[in-house]
Amino acid sequence: MAIIDARTLPDASHLEADLVIIGGGLAGITLAKELAGGPLKVVVLESGGREMEPETQALYAGACVQKADGNKDRPLHEFPVQSRVRALGGSGHVWGGKCGPLDPADFAERAWIPYSGWPISREAMQPYYDRACDMLEIDRFPPERPNAAEASLQPLALDARDGFFPAPRLFARISGRTDRPAFDRFRTQFAEAPNIDVYLYANVVRIRRERNTITGLDIACLDGKRHKAKATRYVLATGGIENVRLLLASDNLGNRHDLVGRFFQGHVTYSNDSDAQREGSAFAASRAEPLDLYAPALRYGPHCVIGAGLAAQKRMKTGNFTATLFRANFSNADAKVAAETQTISKVSAQLDKGQAQPNLLGFFAMTEHFPHPESRITLDQSQKDALGMPRVNLTWVHGKKDYDDLERSIDGLAAAMGAAGEGRLCWSLRRDELLASSNASRHHMGTTRMHADPRKGVVDADGRLHEANNLYVAGSSVFPTSGIVNPTLTILALTIRLADHLKSEKKAA
Amino acid sequence: MSTRRDLLAALVALAAAPSLSQAQTSGFLPGLDKDAARRIGEAWRKAHPGDTAKTLVAKLFPTGRGPEALPRLRRAMAADFRAGAIFAHRGWRLSNTEGALFALVSMET
Repeated sequence: MAIIDARTLPDASHLEADLVIIGGGLAGITLAKELAGGPLKVVVLESGGREMEPETQALYAGACVQKADGNKDRPLHEFPVQSRVRALGGSGHVWGGKCGPLDPADFAERAWIPYSGWPISREAMQPYYDRACDMLEIDRFPPERPNAAEASLQPLALDARDGFFPAPRLFARISGRTDRPAFDRFRTQFAEAPNIDVYLYANVVRIRRERNTITGLDIACLDGKRHKAKATRYVLATGGIENVRLLLASDNLGNRHDLVGRFFQGHVTYSNDSDAQREGSAFAASRAEPLDLYAPALRYGPHCVIGAGLAAQKRMKTGNFTATLFRANFSNADAKVAAETQTISKVSAQLDKGQAQPNLLGFFAMTEHFPHPESRITLDQSQKDALGMPRVNLTWVHGKKDYDDLERSIDGLAAAMGAAGEGRLCWSLRRDELLASSNASRHHMGTTRMHADPRKGVVDADGRLHEANNLYVAGSSVFPTSGIVNPTLTILALTIRLADHLKSEKKAA
Repeated sequence: MSTRRDLLAALVALAAAPSLSQAQTSGFLPGLDKDAARRIGEAWRKAHPGDTAKTLVAKLFPTGRGPEALPRLRRAMAADFRAGAIFAHRGWRLSNTEGALFALVSMET
């Protein structure tokens, strides 16, 4: 019905609805869009305004350190602020629009990966992925290959037994960094529905419960006003870090088995440039023709990454892995290193395919970040924000298996490419350089993981908190494992699935 | 652009010639940086100090450098990659066979 500034309400207002969505980011908005025009009266509570504002953004401040096997700890204390946006539309403001579904292997329970396995299959997710694609106005990702991005372009001819495959990626224009008017329509138009109200500057600071039922929410505005909200059901959709913060700050809600905040997973990319001693991360393709399927001329165009499917993972006893190829400038390298790179790539192209001019490309690697119980978010009760909420402390852990698997995957891909006569891979990063050479993404996953067993997960397969019969969690915090692809499409797909569940519950009631 | 036939001819020439420098004049990989190739070969030799030009020729070209040499080399390279017989140079993952080829180049130039 409207977008309302909660600061303009009389102090101590009481908001009532059938459903309250806490958080107006991409998950919260997707849920509201799915419920728009329906019978449920929906209230969305968003902490920020329409745009990013320093005072609101400062509520995110906390501490973060990355720890990794054989590497020096890396403090990233700006990460809690810089990796998210606290405004209507959430981190969609800075999202680049990259979309892809998780792979079937990501959903599978893999015996060699502790804590792996989703209570949903990739196949069951297909209709929700389709609807998420429709919502974002991008082509769908059919379960069978090739998809639209691959159809007219030739993939690398790797041996199918190696298990590497071209994994498609598309870009949605509905993102803050791509098509601002389209993004603005996406994040505001749903509020015109008669059953939807969006409140801005409305910070939920406490979830109240009696036994297993949520009974209401405490809302605080930075100008000092305080309000209450009450509903039949609630959905927590404030992101992979803030979902934890609010649960823990609400008397450890959902944390009976000490799982809330654990298993934090974040994607990182690994790559390096050349120096006087070595070449950087590079791929010398032995083909004469450009590899447009993987490294299109248009940087943000549809493309494929080279992914490790379940067969590859089983064979190498690794997790998911991708190599993203891109057009790179090799002209600034050390003269000797550059000459050797040229020599290696020319000789291998000649030997492989009789080509005199190979394609020299850059690449970056990504691996699934494995669930690790000590990779976790806790609250620092000695540090409070302007609303009195304890600040977060993120300890982001990469274990030995994370790096073992990265290196084994790189070697496996290099071997598959060489054996197929498709080219040579260059990877010169040492183990003790990996953390410092990695780039952290803005993907926060796993901290309220989904599992049918309350001793192993915070929410059930529907996203409902095991400890509360009327509170659901939306967003990437429910991912049991991280996969590799950007999580946004899966966040939307899971949220659409949740919307269907909430509608069916309403009908049943 | 060179063709497989060019390379084949070059390998044949390499077999007939006493050294790579002579083979290069007959068109082996035009534009090949001999110094770079030699450095790569020397790096492989450091890890395989026992090999001589004679033993390398015997390994790489057991039946001579005739028309069948290239497909045999390709099979050997694929087998190396499958078996994990990898020579890593400045980060590049090469087959051991390629490393030996560069080593032979380094000895013959």
